[in-house]
Amino acid sequence: MIQRVATLCRYLTTSLLFSLTGVIYLIGTLVYYWLAFQQPSPEVSYFVLVIGLFGGAVTFLLTLSIASRANQAINFPLLVRLPSRVEYLAAVFLTAVTLGLMLQILVGLIALLHNGPSLSLSQAVEIPPVWLAINILAAALALHASELVTAGWSRVYLYGALAVLLFLQSNHSQVMSWIGGRFLALGNWFNGLGITALNFPLRNLANWLSVSGNDWLARIIAFVFWPIQAITEASMNGYFSRAQALAPAVLLLYATIIFMLAADLFANKDLHLHE
Amino acid sequence: MIEVDRVTKAFYTVVAVNDLSLDVPEGEVIGVLGPNGAGKTTLFKLLAGFLKPDKGRIRAKRLQWPAIGYKPERLLFPNQMRVLAYLEMIAALSNINSRDIRRVVYDSLSRVNLLDASQKQIRDCSKGMRQRLGLAQALIGDPPLLILDEPSNGLDPDGQATIASHIQQLRQMGKTILLSSHQLHEVTQVCTHLIIMNQGQILYERPMAEALIEQPHALIRVNQPLAPVAALLQSLHPEVVVQEQEIMLNNEAMGLRRQVLSILLAAGYDILKVEQQRVTLAEIYAEATR
Repeated sequence: MIQRVATLCRYLTTSLLFSLTGVIYLIGTLVYYWLAFQQPSPEVSYFVLVIGLFGGAVTFLLTLSIASRANQAINFPLLVRLPSRVEYLAAVFLTAVTLGLMLQILVGLIALLHNGPSLSLSQAVEIPPVWLAINILAAALALHASELVTAGWSRVYLYGALAVLLFLQSNHSQVMSWIGGRFLALGNWFNGLGITALNFPLRNLANWLSVSGNDWLARIIAFVFWPIQAITEASMNGYFSRAQALAPAVLLLYATIIFMLAADLFANKDLHLHE
Repeated sequence: MIEVDRVTKAFYTVVAVNDLSLDVPEGEVIGVLGPNGAGKTTLFKLLAGFLKPDKGRIRAKRLQWPAIGYKPERLLFPNQMRVLAYLEMIAALSNINSRDIRRVVYDSLSRVNLLDASQKQIRDCSKGMRQRLGLAQALIGDPPLLILDEPSNGLDPDGQATIASHIQQLRQMGKTILLSSHQLHEVTQVCTHLIIMNQGQILYERPMAEALIEQPHALIRVNQPLAPVAALLQSLHPEVVVQEQEIMLNNEAMGLRRQVLSILLAAGYDILKVEQQRVTLAEIYAEATR
């Protein structure tokens, strides 16, 4: 399996790098460096966050580009050779993460040499797991946005759920009080109809949603987004607390779940590769 | 080797394969004929595992890996690669030990007479070379089942003959081959089994020898219109086809030749011609897809 995945990674890497798209990525990386490090930036947190953000974004885009190349009909003879389609998807994923990391390291190295901060060894050791975890999550998410993986409405469901979570993160109290208000109105409506037995439980539910429900929702959302918040805070502080050090591992767990969903979709879908 | 059991595959409202059952016997070369849009490529993609059936099942005998060599209809390759590098990549994906890859690739190239082109970039290969490259990649790893979608499409007669001779060699090696083609003579030449498809269904399925030899027909031509005796002749057998001044005896009706001739002579007809014929593949195809 390793031989097959490595062969596919090599093939996908060369097919991207020796194309116009590959050159555009390289130029884009250099332009990003130029924009982000025009002024001398000695802050380590700035270095970690700006290049971490770049890594996530470029890995997302690279995954889309590589998945689009993998979704071409020239690859039917390769796919038929694989005992499992998941090997193919793993190759797309690994290629994107590796290339993303390489471009990220390129920006990082240039920044360290010119206009960036000087890092101690301990700081330098802490950074790669953080960047890598973000890149891996970005690649797993991007797989679902690609034509190669998506099946039916799958990407709408996944990104819809993500959008709802992001919306609730900043608006959960308004949303819960709105839902509570709807239940209250429903209780009043039943009351008007003379069905008073339903009025009381609905009022209770509305109160619970506005107070305890809101609290629960806030906790759940905070739990979901905790790794990102923890990484951001740790990067700003310049050090990871014991709890914060777990954040990259939790991100990897999210990425694993999202990748497994992608693998399941890809393994069971009809392959209509583009000619 | 592979059993297709009542498989249906539809793309939105278009039913590409409709309740199709097929048994692919080991060691046979099965020619699949049919007009464009008949469902041949969809059937092949279902067998290769690229598509999943909407209904029905495809069962395969436990096969060695790699189980299938697939040559798609379109000659699409990564043009930037060299022939040798491309085949080495296919070999690496086929569980071939890295020490043996070069040998296996050269073996495959020599089987399709493509050794001279091994260092060529694929974009510089002619159509004939690309067809042979398609065949060479399908052969790597010695898969027991080969699915060849229009292997001689767009080739000149020499190129078609070369591909046909390669397929014959593979048949002698005991490979099970499914091939689709619009070249009827190629199918007659290389296939041991014939399938004709249209509108997602198998309309005709028979061993090639049986299809070509055991479906004779006889033609009897007379000097006057046959209308007065038409009803009597047709009542003998449903396969007795009476036309203006001709009678066609198909399949089982062939045995009624003497009886038909006696009726005609008794009715005062002069027999102008009695001809025993074998059907051609073109006739079988035309009849099946009509």
